[in-house]
Amino acid sequence: MIPRFSYSRPRSLGDAFHAHAATDGEGAYVVGGTELLQVMKMGLAQFRTLIDLKGIAELHGIEVLADGTLRIGACTTHRQIERSPIVAASLPGLAELELHLANVRVRNQGTIGGNLAFAEPHSDPATFLLACDARVELASPAGRRTVAIDEFVLGPLYTSREPEEILTAVLVPPAGKGGGRGYAKAKFFERPAVAVGVALTVVDRVVVSARVSLGSITEVPMLVPAAAAGLVGAAADPASLAAAARIAAASAFADLDAVDDLNGAADYKRHLAGVLIQQAALAALTEATPHA
Amino acid sequence: MKRVIERPTPPSPISVSVPRRDGIAKVTGSAQFAVDVVVPGMAHAKILRSPYAHARIRSIDVTAARAHPGVIAVVTADDLPDVILRYGHALADHPMIATGKVRFAGEPIVGVVAEDAATADEALRLIELDMEPLPAVTTVEAALADDAPVIHEEAAEQRPHRGFEEDISKTAANVCSHSRQHYGDVDAGFAAAALVIEGEFRYPMCYAYAMEPYTTVASWNQGQLTVWSSAQHPYMVRDDLARCFGLPLSSVRVVVPYVGGGYGSKSYTKIEPLTAALALRAGRPVRLALVADEAILTTRGDSARVRVKSAFDAEGHLLARKAEVLLNTGAYAENSPLVARKAANRLSGPYRIPAVDVTCDAVYTNTAPASSFRGFGAPQVVLAGESQMDEAAERLGLDPLEIRRRNVLKPGERPWPKVRGIDADLGADMELAAIELDWDAPAEPGRGKAICISASDAGSEPVTTAVLRVHADGSATVMCGSTEMGQGSNTVLAQIGAGEMGIPLERVHLNQSDTGMVSYDRSTGASRTTTLMGLAIRDAARDVKAQLVGWAQDAIAKDGAEVVEEHEGVRVGGTFHDWGAVVRAWFAGAGGECIGRGYVRKAGATEAMPPFWEVGCVGVDLTVDEQTGRIQIHKLVTIGDVGCAINPQLAEAQDVGAAIMGLGMATREELVYTADGNLLNGNLFDYRVPRASDIPPLATVLVERGDGVGVYGAKGGGEGALNPVAAAIANAVFRATGARLRQAPFTPERVWRALQERDAAAS
Amino acid sequence: MHEIIEVGLTVNGRPHELRIEPRETLGEVLRDRLALTGLKVSCDSQVCGACTVLVDGLAVSACTYLAVDADGRSVRTVEGLAVDGRLTPLQQAFIDHAAFQCAFCTSGMLMTATALLEENPAPTREEVVTGLEGNLCRCTGYAPIVDAVLAAAAATAEATA
Ligand SMILES: Cc1cc2nc3c(=O)[nH]c(=O)nc-3n(C[C@H](O)[C@H](O)[C@H](O)COP(=O)(O)OP(=O)(O)OC[C@H]3O[C@@H](n4cnc5c(N)ncnc54)[C@H](O)[C@@H]3O)c2cc1C
Ligand code: FES
Ligand code: FES
Repeated sequence: MIPRFSYSRPRSLGDAFHAHAATDGEGAYVVGGTELLQVMKMGLAQFRTLIDLKGIAELHGIEVLADGTLRIGACTTHRQIERSPIVAASLPGLAELELHLANVRVRNQGTIGGNLAFAEPHSDPATFLLACDARVELASPAGRRTVAIDEFVLGPLYTSREPEEILTAVLVPPAGKGGGRGYAKAKFFERPAVAVGVALTVVDRVVVSARVSLGSITEVPMLVPAAAAGLVGAAADPASLAAAARIAAASAFADLDAVDDLNGAADYKRHLAGVLIQQAALAALTEATPHA
Repeated sequence: MKRVIERPTPPSPISVSVPRRDGIAKVTGSAQFAVDVVVPGMAHAKILRSPYAHARIRSIDVTAARAHPGVIAVVTADDLPDVILRYGHALADHPMIATGKVRFAGEPIVGVVAEDAATADEALRLIELDMEPLPAVTTVEAALADDAPVIHEEAAEQRPHRGFEEDISKTAANVCSHSRQHYGDVDAGFAAAALVIEGEFRYPMCYAYAMEPYTTVASWNQGQLTVWSSAQHPYMVRDDLARCFGLPLSSVRVVVPYVGGGYGSKSYTKIEPLTAALALRAGRPVRLALVADEAILTTRGDSARVRVKSAFDAEGHLLARKAEVLLNTGAYAENSPLVARKAANRLSGPYRIPAVDVTCDAVYTNTAPASSFRGFGAPQVVLAGESQMDEAAERLGLDPLEIRRRNVLKPGERPWPKVRGIDADLGADMELAAIELDWDAPAEPGRGKAICISASDAGSEPVTTAVLRVHADGSATVMCGSTEMGQGSNTVLAQIGAGEMGIPLERVHLNQSDTGMVSYDRSTGASRTTTLMGLAIRDAARDVKAQLVGWAQDAIAKDGAEVVEEHEGVRVGGTFHDWGAVVRAWFAGAGGECIGRGYVRKAGATEAMPPFWEVGCVGVDLTVDEQTGRIQIHKLVTIGDVGCAINPQLAEAQDVGAAIMGLGMATREELVYTADGNLLNGNLFDYRVPRASDIPPLATVLVERGDGVGVYGAKGGGEGALNPVAAAIANAVFRATGARLRQAPFTPERVWRALQERDAAAS
Repeated sequence: MHEIIEVGLTVNGRPHELRIEPRETLGEVLRDRLALTGLKVSCDSQVCGACTVLVDGLAVSACTYLAVDADGRSVRTVEGLAVDGRLTPLQQAFIDHAAFQCAFCTSGMLMTATALLEENPAPTREEVVTGLEGNLCRCTGYAPIVDAVLAAAAATAEATA
C-alpha cells in the first residue's frame, strides 16, 4: 500500500520550486512514480507531499540542437525515446537500449529523468550515456547548470542534485564524423547484471579515440580509461576490434571492484564484462562505419 | 501436438477438445477469485511479520495501533486464548500467529483489522516489537549440527491426514520427519557391482508463484464460520478450522471461487485460521489478501541435498541404489513429511532395481515453511537418479537411451513389493521422444541431447465422493469437491458427466468446491482429479441411471413392459424417454429430480496403491554459450502418457505448463537465504520465473493407451512433464560440453564454473 | 482529514467524477470504487502485469500508477473489451487456443496484447514475444498465448481485408 501523502501538480518550474519550498524538506518530485511509489510502498521512504512534474511543458520533448546535441526533456518516457525517429537517427543505441529496458508498462510510465535522478546502480541509460559523454541539465531557483553524468551520479541512489533542483533535460553530444556508440548488457533478473558502453571514433580505418563505461557491476557506473586506451589504435574491422577489446578487458577489468550479489560473483561478472565490451565495441563500430 | 492412441473410443464429448467452460468468464474479467469476494460489513486485515528468523518475543506494544482511527482490532496470540493456535494436517506444529517465539523471518506476529487496508497498513507501522534474537539455522547442515539451536522445543500432535500409514518419526531434534524406502539386499548388490556411481546433487528451494497470492475472507454468523479462500483442498481446510475453533465439521463452510494457480502451493491450510481468528475478534467479516512478497514467505518448495550411489553390472543393469536425502523443510512441517515419503519412493525411478535403501529426512530450519509443490519429492530426486543413469552409460560406453531400455519397468511390473504395477509403457514413450529429437542423427559438436524419465506414485489417497442430480428437464448438475485452479477440472469433469449420462454438455452444470453445498473430496492435487473424481462421477452416473431405470419401471412401465436402458434414457415398449421424462413421470408432475451418488475409496479398482503412476518423459536438445555459460534449448519434448485424454487440448496445456515450470527451476529459480535467515530475493524482481522469451520450441506428444485406473483408462497428468526436466538439461549439457552439473538451477554462472572446472581437469 | 482530490476519468467510454485520496492507485479505484475487478494485483511491484490497464491507449501497471494521474484521461480495462457480449477476436483467440488456465494473468495479458495489436496490427512472432515479455504467466508456458495473439492478428486482418 502506498502511504498517504498530498499531491501538487505545478504547471511551471517556478510553481514547482514554490511547492517544494513549502514542504519543508518533506516533499519529493515525482514523474512516472515507478521508482518513488515503489520505495514508498515498501516503506523505504516517506514523503508528506509529492510534486508531480509531468504537467510542466518544458520538461517534455526531444530535439536536436543547432550544434547537433540531442536534447531529451527529463519527463520524456522511455517509450517515447524508444519510438522517436529523432533518437533513432541521432543515437540509435539509445533507442535499442530503451526497447529492452524493463517492461512496456514501466517504459510507458517511467522517464529518462527519473531513471537518472534515482541513480539506481543498474541503470541502463546512465551507463550508456556516460560512454556518450552526455550531460544533464538542472534548474533551481538560483538558475541552471549542466553536469556530466559521472559528476551527477555519485553513488547508489545518490546524485549531486540539490533537493529543490529539477533535472530538466539530458544533453548528448553528436558522435561526429566517424563516431559510433554501442551498448551491451547481460541481464538475469529484472535489471542488468553487467553493462558496457563504448563510444569510439574511427579515422582512416583506425580507432583514434574511445570511451568505455561499465555499469551494474560496480556501485556506480564508471568510465574505464584503461579499457578505452586499449581500443585506440585498433584497426576498424570487427575481428581486430574484438581482439583489442578482449585484450584491453583482460587487464583493465582485472582489479575491478565488482560487487558479489544475486546477479553473480565478482569474478564471473568481470569475465562477462570482458565478453560484453566486445559486443558493445562492435555495435559502436557498426554505427561509426555504416558503409563498411 | 501429436497423439498416439491405442485405446477404444469413449462416448462423446469425452476425448474431445471442447472449449473451456470458464472461458468467457475468464476472458471478460468476470471470473470471481477470492479477492473479488465482497461480504457486507467486511473489514480488511494486514499482518505484521517477524524481521528475525529465530527470536523470542519479549513484548508487543499495540497501544498506538489500537488507538489509530479506523482500526477495529489488533490481535496477537495473547488475544486468542479460546482458539487452538496450532494447526497442520500432518503435524499440528504451525501456530496461526506467533506464540512466544518466531521460527522464520516473515512469520505473522500481529494482525490488524481496519475499515480499509491502507489504515490497517498505517497501524502496522505503529506497533512496537521487543524481540530477543536467537541463533538461526538456514541450511540442513547447520540444522543437523550437534550444537544447532532447537527450532521446535515441544513435540507436535500427529494428525490423521498426513497421507501415509506409519507414524511420523524423528531422528534428531531438528528432524521433522524421517522416511525410508528399503527393500532387497543392498550390500549384496554393491558387492556384485561392476560399476558404482556416487555423487551429491542439489535441488533448489523454489517458490511456486501462483500469481494469485493467498487470499481469505472469513465471516462468523451465530457460531457458524464461512470462509472463502484461495485453497486447493477446501475439505482439508475445513478440518483444520473445525479443530482450531472447536466446531463440528458441519459448522464450517469453506467456499473456493476460481483459484489463481496452485501447483501444490495452495494445498492444505494457509491463512484461513488466522483470518477466521481476526474476524472473530473484530466481530466483522474480514478479508486478508496477501501480496506476492508475503506469499513467498508463506509456502515454498523443499530444497534437497541428495547423496546417492548406484550399483550397475557390466551390461548397465541396476543392481542396487543407496541414498540419503535431506530436505530443507523450513520452520513448519506443512506437507513436507509426505514430500519426504514421496522423495524416498521416487528416487528408485521407473527402473527395476533389486535392492534399494533410501532415507529421506525433512529437516526444520529457520526459513519459510516448505510444502507441496508440483511433483513434490520427484524433481528433487530425479535430477540425481537420472544423472547417474547417464554417468553410468558414459562409463560403460552405452547410449543413454540404451541403458534406460535395459532397466525401465515393463507395463505391469512393480517397482517395489506390494505396490500397484506400473500402468504405463515408459519404454515405448522414450522411443517416441527419441523420434522427436532425431536421436540417432550424428552428434554435432557443442550440441547435446538427452531423454529422461520418471515415475511417481501419485493420486494421493482415494477418498472422493460425487453427487449427480438429474433434473426434470433432463439437464444435470454434478456436485463435487474438486477445485478449479486453472487445470480445467470444471470442463473435464463436466465432459465425463455428460458422456456418462448421454446428456449434451451444455446441459450439464458443475458445482464445485463449497463444503457447505457439495460432497467430500479429499484434495485437488497429486494429479488425482480427472482420475478419482472422474470415477466418482462415473459411479454417480451409474447410480442415478440405475435409479432412473427403476423409476421408469414404477412409473412408465406400469403394465410390466420391459424397460431397456439406453445411453441417453430408457426405452419402454418401443417408446424412448429421456432421463428428464423419467423424473417427471415418477413424480407425476413437472418437477422433482433424481440424485446419484458416487464413492471412491481404497477398494476395488482403487485398492492397490498408488491409485496410479504418474510418469514423465522429457527430451531436450541444446547448446551452451561457452563464453557466458548460457544454455540455449533448441527443442523441448514432452511425452504425456495420460491413458486417455478427456480433453486433449487441456491435457497438452498441462504438460506444456509443467515443462516450462520445470525449465524455470532447472535454469533460474532459487530462493536465496542469508546465513542469519533473511530471504534475499523475496520478490518477483529478484525471483525470476520464466518469461515469454524463455520458451524454447516445444514438441508435445499425448500418448493414450487406456492403461490408467480412471474412466476409459485415464490417469493423472500435469506433473510428469516437470519432474525430469532438470535432469534432461544436465545430461544434455554434459553431452554438449563434457561438464557435469550437479546443482540446480543451472544458472549461466554455474554452467560457466562447471566449464572452468572441466578445462582445469583437462589441463 | 486526509487530502481529497477530485478527478474526472473516462473508464471504458463512461465518464466518472470521483473524489479520491492522492495515494489511491488506479487499481484500487477501479477495483474498489468502480467494481471493475477484472484486473488483478499479484506482485504489486510492476513486474507481473496482472494489473495492466490502458491509459490513453498505453499499458500501465495499475498497481503502481496513481489514479490522479489518470485525471482527464481515458482508461480501458478488460471489462471494456467485449461490446454487447461480443468478444473481440483476441478474446476469442484466447479461448480457442487455451491461452489461459487459472486466468489470474489473463486480464493483463489481454490488455497488453490489445495495445500491442493496436500499435502493430501485424506483428511477427518475435514482436509478440517481446511485447508480452513483461506479463508473467505461471500456468500456460506462454506458447498458447503467443499463438492466440498471432491468430487474433490474422483474424482481424482477414475480417478487414
Ligand atoms: C519493474 C522495473 C524494471 C526496471 N528495469 C530497468 C532496467 O532494466 N534498466 C533500467 O535502467 N531501469 C529499469 N527500471 C527503472 C526505470 O527506468 C525507472 O523506474 C524509471 O525510469 C524512473 O522514472 P520515473 O519517472 O518513474 O521516476 P520517479 O519514480 O517518478 O522518480 C524517481 C526519483 O527521481 C526523482 N525525479 C524524477 N524526475 C525528476 C526530475 N525531473 N528532477 C528531479 N528529480 C526527479 C524523484 O524525486 C525520485 O526520487 C525498472 C523499473 C521497474 C519498476
Ligand atoms: S500487480 Fe502490478 S505489475 Fe504485478
Ligand atoms: S493462466 Fe494462470 S497465470 Fe496465466
